[in-house]
Amino acid sequence: MTTLARIASPARGLGEFFAMALDVAVLMFRPPWAWREFILQSWFVARVSLFPTFMLSLPYTVLTVFVENILLVEFGAADVSGAGAAQGVVTQIGPVVTVLVISGAGATAMCADLGARTIREELDALRVLGINPVQALVVPRVVAATMIALLLNSFVTLLGITGGFLFSVFFQHVTPGAFAASLTLLTGPRDVVISLVKAALFGMSAGLIACYKGISVRGGPQGVGNAVNETVVLTFVALFFINIMATAVGVQVTR
Amino acid sequence: MTAQASTHLGAISRPVRKFVGSLTRIGAQTKFYTEILKGIGVALAHHKREVIRLIAQMSLGVGALAVIGGTVVIVGFLSLTTGSLIAVQGYNTLAGVDVEALTGFVSAYLNVRLIAPVTATIGLAATIGAGATAQLGAMRINEEIDALEVMGIRSIAYLTSSRVVAGVVVVIPLYCIAILMSFVAAQVGTTFFYGQSVGVYLHYFNTFLNPTDILWSFAQAIVMAVVVMVVHTYYGFNATGGPAGVGEAVGRAVRASLVVTALATMLITLAIYGQSGNFHLSG
Repeated sequence: MTTLARIASPARGLGEFFAMALDVAVLMFRPPWAWREFILQSWFVARVSLFPTFMLSLPYTVLTVFVENILLVEFGAADVSGAGAAQGVVTQIGPVVTVLVISGAGATAMCADLGARTIREELDALRVLGINPVQALVVPRVVAATMIALLLNSFVTLLGITGGFLFSVFFQHVTPGAFAASLTLLTGPRDVVISLVKAALFGMSAGLIACYKGISVRGGPQGVGNAVNETVVLTFVALFFINIMATAVGVQVTR
Repeated sequence: MTAQASTHLGAISRPVRKFVGSLTRIGAQTKFYTEILKGIGVALAHHKREVIRLIAQMSLGVGALAVIGGTVVIVGFLSLTTGSLIAVQGYNTLAGVDVEALTGFVSAYLNVRLIAPVTATIGLAATIGAGATAQLGAMRINEEIDALEVMGIRSIAYLTSSRVVAGVVVVIPLYCIAILMSFVAAQVGTTFFYGQSVGVYLHYFNTFLNPTDILWSFAQAIVMAVVVMVVHTYYGFNATGGPAGVGEAVGRAVRASLVVTALATMLITLAIYGQSGNFHLSG
């Protein structure tokens, strides 16, 4: 019996997660909408994410541009370094940094906050008052995470291309005009749209996972800590998987 | 007059106090980190059993994470996905300029220098690092750490230095798995899914796979393990604010370690490969 329960428990968790996701999908279009909570959560996620975004996108862009310019200089093709930087930033660095920030900063903060409310029994209090916690707390959080991920992705792309430009021009002596001119050589509006779609998917999945882990917290301090830990791991796994799938689909579409 | 002067003073002194506060925090962290590193000797001399227990626990994971296969499977899976990005994105980008034969070279070059170390670091921070913060935070909140001090056990050496040692030991096989997974993913993606011939792929892959690069990337992974462990144990060891505070500490630790490791990776890469690049097209 215990082994059966142990095998069944992850399956039950997965089922509960999808049930909650379905609830969110249904309740998203049904009033009353929690506007106030949505705005507060958007601000909350943006506030915890902004500094990590800035501090992560610059090093990763510099790394990519640096490694790639070594190659291009060796080929004698440093003048197309803009093309490589744009391709790298728009198709991969943008979405991947968004993944890191949304799951490492946004989702952890969200799960910690919701988990704290759960163990203070605030969610039970809401239920007693006849308010559905999924509608009042989870829906605005998921929508806020999706929107902020979309905005963050644009921010990361912008920062990345600017950082790549500065690093290439001032440290690796690429001609600024050649860098700017080759930006659109490999990367077009379609890549930008795919990158934004990916970011929205990341935000939504991270929001759903964080909220599920947050409202299903059990046990004392160790329980909350574990819930946040599991949130990080699961969002990383899910988001990296979505990234590879979305990239494969996007490449087929744009070909 | 005096009231006005005091508000002016208040307006000036608030940012000053904030600045001094952040300096104090940096100082406290640095002091804590040096104490962790100093405690490593004590941990190895007196707490061998604890170190071995932690190595076992970290490599296999605890709780719900053990159900999906523990740290090894998670890090392996993450590198599998990032490695296959080489196949998906790299192959198609190269095909756009008709040099898709060079995908093997891109795998040997980018996986070793960039993708595998970064992915392994992220995996470490999320699994072992965040787990350590959660454990230590819970111990702090339950006043177990104070109990250790009362019993005369050096809590920093016993709890944090031992975790740093265990993290470094665990990262070595973990990084082997990560780098192998990223190679396998890139190769399978390119040859099996996109239909490139295995011979072409392996020719460029083997030609450009530089053994020195691999050793450097191992060194990078070990440094990252130390960085991740000290940052995460700091936030766990100093958690405050009841059960909710533990969750918050885990979140803050993940944010801090992502930023610190990104900066450290960049600095290490610039230091290793420098301006020369240590790369020779002609072999």
